[in-house]
Amino acid sequence: MKRRTLVKASLAAAVVATMQAGAAWAQNPVLKIGFVGVTSGPAAAWGISNQRSMETRAAWINEAGGYTIGGTTYDIEIVSFDDQKDPKRAIAGMEKMANEGIHYVVGPNVDDGAAAVRPVAEANGIMYFPYAFPKALYTAPASNAVLGMVANYQSGPAIYKYLKDEKGVKSVAFVAANESDPLSQRDGGVAAAEALGLEVVSSNVTYQVDTTDFTPVLTPVMRTRPDLLVLSGVSPANAPQLIRSARELGFQGIISTETAQDATVLSEGAGDLANGFISVGGASTPEIASDMMNEFVDRYTKMFGEYNDESNTKVYALEYILETIKANPAAIDDVEVFKTTMDSFEAPNPYMKGGAVLKYVGSSSFGQKRQVAVPLVVNVFQDGKFETLFVAEVD
Amino acid sequence: MLKLTMGQWIGLGVFLAAIFIAVPALIAASGRTDFYFTLTSVALLSIASAGVWLMFYIGRINIGQGAFALIGAYVSAILVTKAGMSFWLTLPIAGLFAAFVAVLIGLPILRLRGVYFAMISLVLTQVVTLTALALPITNGAKGITSIPLPGAISIFGLTLVPDFASMENSRLAFYYTACFLMVLTFAAMYRLVNSRLGHICRSMQQNEELAASIGINIAYIRIVVFAISSFFGGIGGAMFGSIAQSVYPSTFVVTDSVNFMLNCFLGGLGYVFGPMLGTLVLYFGWDLLFESGKYQLLIYSSLLIAAMLVLPNGLLSLRLDMFRRSGK
Amino acid sequence: MEQILANGIYLGAQYAMIALGLTLIFALMNVLNFAHGQMYVLGGFVTYTFYGQLGLPFVLALTMSCVTLAVVGALIEKFLFGPVIRRSAREESTMLLAAGLAFFFDAVILLVFGEKQRGVPKIVDGVFNWDFRVIMPYDRILICVLAILSIVAFILFMQYSKTGRALRALAQDRTAAQLMGVNVERYSMIGFALGAMLAGLVGGLLVTITGINLGMGGPTSIKAFMMVMIGGAGVISGAIAGGIILGFMEAIGLAVLSQYGDITYLMIFVSLMIFLAIRPQGLMGKPWG
Repeated sequence: MKRRTLVKASLAAAVVATMQAGAAWAQNPVLKIGFVGVTSGPAAAWGISNQRSMETRAAWINEAGGYTIGGTTYDIEIVSFDDQKDPKRAIAGMEKMANEGIHYVVGPNVDDGAAAVRPVAEANGIMYFPYAFPKALYTAPASNAVLGMVANYQSGPAIYKYLKDEKGVKSVAFVAANESDPLSQRDGGVAAAEALGLEVVSSNVTYQVDTTDFTPVLTPVMRTRPDLLVLSGVSPANAPQLIRSARELGFQGIISTETAQDATVLSEGAGDLANGFISVGGASTPEIASDMMNEFVDRYTKMFGEYNDESNTKVYALEYILETIKANPAAIDDVEVFKTTMDSFEAPNPYMKGGAVLKYVGSSSFGQKRQVAVPLVVNVFQDGKFETLFVAEVD
Repeated sequence: MLKLTMGQWIGLGVFLAAIFIAVPALIAASGRTDFYFTLTSVALLSIASAGVWLMFYIGRINIGQGAFALIGAYVSAILVTKAGMSFWLTLPIAGLFAAFVAVLIGLPILRLRGVYFAMISLVLTQVVTLTALALPITNGAKGITSIPLPGAISIFGLTLVPDFASMENSRLAFYYTACFLMVLTFAAMYRLVNSRLGHICRSMQQNEELAASIGINIAYIRIVVFAISSFFGGIGGAMFGSIAQSVYPSTFVVTDSVNFMLNCFLGGLGYVFGPMLGTLVLYFGWDLLFESGKYQLLIYSSLLIAAMLVLPNGLLSLRLDMFRRSGK
Repeated sequence: MEQILANGIYLGAQYAMIALGLTLIFALMNVLNFAHGQMYVLGGFVTYTFYGQLGLPFVLALTMSCVTLAVVGALIEKFLFGPVIRRSAREESTMLLAAGLAFFFDAVILLVFGEKQRGVPKIVDGVFNWDFRVIMPYDRILICVLAILSIVAFILFMQYSKTGRALRALAQDRTAAQLMGVNVERYSMIGFALGAMLAGLVGGLLVTITGINLGMGGPTSIKAFMMVMIGGAGVISGAIAGGIILGFMEAIGLAVLSQYGDITYLMIFVSLMIFLAIRPQGLMGKPWG
């Protein structure tokens, strides 16, 4: 009996939520933007930070009266699909987006999903913004994917160069989870480090994604005594444990990664041991965050109870989509127009202090502009929060 | 030749008309073109689930079908991209290769029974995933991408199947292909279950020693059934690779293997068409709950538990007596 | 070498505890509990809430984990597994129920505790370092000792208490136990609660070291299955042996095979398959479980 009541209650709750959503958006025409990514199961953190950034921003826009494109004011609706990190579901999600008449989709979060949805996106005229790094997705003949963040083969060299010049790092070791995304990132990192003339002392140690004890994993790496330990493509869940194990094994060097991390997770999981940990962030450190960024964080926190620092890098995709359509309203249902607009598009970056701009880049990596220009903000963790180490640009 | 009753012929006709005519017509009328892919998935996953069901039929819980689906997907992808073979030729090869691997693995592990076989088959998926990550021919972590769409089949200049790449929309073509394969699979299953082999399987399910004592070579039968089961897995996997035009080590994972097994349980282990219904309900159910947002998994799992409480023997145990011919 | 040994003991002790709960439930009910890993995660989150969030003493938080999971386990047995086992034609059908439960726990944990990795303050600071031959943080040593003590306590309980004896009788032969006057329904519930409680206990202990996130459940279940297979399904001593063996295989494999990259687990899986092909019932299991 109990379970049935629960089912009824949750069904009722869902129906009410849907109806409320419908009512709130009744005045303006609605512009739907899609999200296909993982919001349940083990990797839920990746997609949820994504989805919530989009929903926060959409609610904010709608509260302010909507978003004006070519003289018409739209309310923004985010349509999310949970692909459970399964490439087969991701295709179903993209089909659903096509059916909803959506032309702009954020996601998927991982390499295999991003590759799997490509045929559907290209057949249905959908631009999608994956958080996956394989170059084939963005290099011709592929043309519908836009990399939604800074790739590790772009941030890696910048970080290693900084550490080599400023901290005297000479040798580097890599560890990665035994999974597509981290392994690819590790290979990219090794190539970048070698190109800079760093000595790669260990690069073939991997761990299972479900590892709970990293001491045996890291022991052989520590024996090579690197100056820098790179955690390639590390998930926010594993980062604190890896840091803790490395430090407890007596590692004195620098630890870094090229993915975004969350400060709360790091301080809960590793405490002071995480001090000095270098990761890639968005724009929420006090030095560079604009008032709009701060308000975004406030609104996110109010809406969902707790902010996730990973969202710093994920706030941009929606902004890019909307700004680009605004720059050329014909793009609202024609991605070919969107693509031509991308080449010349430029707008101020509202989330960052100073004269940063939103524009599409990627010519040197992909041969075409298929990447959003987000500031490459390299953070260092110190006493429970991130501080900006340096800011760089990606071309 | 099997004798079907009048009712069964009618049922078969209605079913075929439904999937080949009514569904496309309804989709065209309602504009829900996204259902093509969902139903294609259901058809392909139910082919793989049919293999798992067959293993249940000899009393083995197979939680390793994902391994064979992954093998099939890779074999087809490698042959298409590296050897330039036609996809249609690679499809049976993928199935046969999966069956061949099944024979090799099956020789030792089919001696295991009950939960032991279940648990070791659970490990199989991970073994194949890890192997795919480590081997150069599978392109390791980077996966195989940009696989061309299936080409045309023509005999004596007569085009039987047009080139998928030249089609306006390949969704319908994939849907028909998947349904066609599904019908073939279940026809073969029905034939098998109602053959002498089917009777032997049923006796093995109940008591292997007894079956052996009346002169049945149970080791041989087990291998044959496991090979057939894996053949279905390989076919389903290869088709998926061709739809996604990419294969990664994570294309089929342990979760998929568990889902194949759940499809059989939900549909009903005693009914040949159980896996088809189970796949439809489990996969389509998730899609239909899309509207419920963050409560999707909660509602989905609650319904699953409720279904188990109400119908512990599977959904098909609801069927009327007159249809209860197949199965035990 | 000493480090490998230390890592092996530490891993083995925690693994053995996870496997114990799973094998207990299997022995009593013939249920392959796919949701075992999720129960472990739930235990971790309960300890996180009481110790990490509310600042209560660790021991109290740990007790809360055990109590919560025991209650959850008892309810699951009484209202879900019990009825389904009685009414289904094939007892494997409970696998669907167990998998449904695993999804259900995943959903509830996501809604209640969120998607983030969570961690609690260290219970003891400092690192034991014997001349760089053995390095082991004190909190790991403490957790390892606690795990071993719990295992010993559990064995004693099963050997000498009245409940323990009844449970063993039930595991050995359900019908005979019933004929001897054991209240089968009551003890099934107690057994399930005990198994779930063990999962909660490990979750609570390990949250202090590894932290907890909702993704840990499924892989934990699979690891527990492997340990149970090594030792023999439904045998308490087998679960302990399986846990320790897997712990050592990991510790040794990761140390010896590290330069070859990703093959440690592949080797573990393959050797497991070979081992089971030779000895299908595991180390200590009854033939055909």
